[in-house]
Amino acid sequence: MTKHVTNLLGAYLDGELKGRLLRRVEAHVAQCAACRGELEALRDLAALLKESPPVEGITPPERFVAQIELRLSPRPEQPATQRALEMGWRLVPVSLLGVWAFVQTVFIVTGMVQVALWAGLGGDIAAGLLPGSERGWRLSDLFRLSEVGLRDAGQILLEFVRGGGPLGWAPAIYAVLLVLIGLLYWSWLASWWALHKRSRLEIPNSAG
Amino acid sequence: MSPGETEEELISLAKEGDRQAFSQLVRCHREGVVNVVYRMCGDANLADDAAQEAFIRAWQHLSGYRPRSPFRNWLYRIAVNVARDVLRRQKETLDIGELPVASSERGPDEVLEREERGERVRKAVLSLSAASRAVLVLREYEGLSYREIADTLGIPMGTVMSRLNYARDRLRRSLTHYMEL
Repeated sequence: MTKHVTNLLGAYLDGELKGRLLRRVEAHVAQCAACRGELEALRDLAALLKESPPVEGITPPERFVAQIELRLSPRPEQPATQRALEMGWRLVPVSLLGVWAFVQTVFIVTGMVQVALWAGLGGDIAAGLLPGSERGWRLSDLFRLSEVGLRDAGQILLEFVRGGGPLGWAPAIYAVLLVLIGLLYWSWLASWWALHKRSRLEIPNSAG
Repeated sequence: MSPGETEEELISLAKEGDRQAFSQLVRCHREGVVNVVYRMCGDANLADDAAQEAFIRAWQHLSGYRPRSPFRNWLYRIAVNVARDVLRRQKETLDIGELPVASSERGPDEVLEREERGERVRKAVLSLSAASRAVLVLREYEGLSYREIADTLGIPMGTVMSRLNYARDRLRRSLTHYMEL
């Protein structure tokens, strides 16, 4: 015979068991007279508890409601600043998503334009608009790496890094912005979760 | 609840300070709240006052209610806390043995016997610790699920189960005589 399931019988009787646990208790109860007896006793107890008389002699419903109405204090109006703060707090994730979408759009558009310009699609006008078009680096400079010696390659890379590459500092700024937005968003989520958890556990304990 | 107004609507009106809406909520949940505090306190007069106190607290803290859990459970949570406070205040003066016996009219022996049994049960429930009693009352008299009890009292499901087992075990031992009848 399997191990007794005494501790689970209450939950079984209350219909709180499911799946494997339920099947286990059912199977055990079917073959164990002691646990069946326990279960029967729990059923008797539940029936006995119901015999406790209901409350009597209390204030009739309408009078009860009227008495409460008399005791209701005017609800203090929430200060405007607090309302504004709450609204701002709720708008944080939406704003962050908006900023993220904006950054993404700017980067994609800028990237496309720059790639087009580097590809020579912009003609002479483009040359003037490119970051450091006079003094800076072009993609072709990178391809030169295969034709030069190690010392020259180092020099080229150094200058490449100094100049920020063919797309300028945009990727770095983009990455920093994304990390920043992500951090803010997760911080907001974490604090929302903490507040949510606290409000769930918070019990209005004192009057007033 | 008046036709056309859901509980959510009444709650949101009450949150804005509508007393009529709140009164409507009181009407809807009066019975349950009174029952919970009565089972917790064991005295009709105390239960009446405690239930009113619970609704006053609910009004004062209504802005803190979030509709993640049913309004009824939120009210029960307040009711259990109010009942605990009342019991704490009464602890030095109130003796379970001195609690007024529920009104009983003279009648056939069977009726008297049933009433006596009911009284014994009431006192046995009152002899439990407040924590175990709260779980037992919400389960046996209000029919809340373990999950709802856990949410209402802010305790883990495992604790609900263990407190319920403990309470039932204690009651079985103290009411053995009546269970054998």
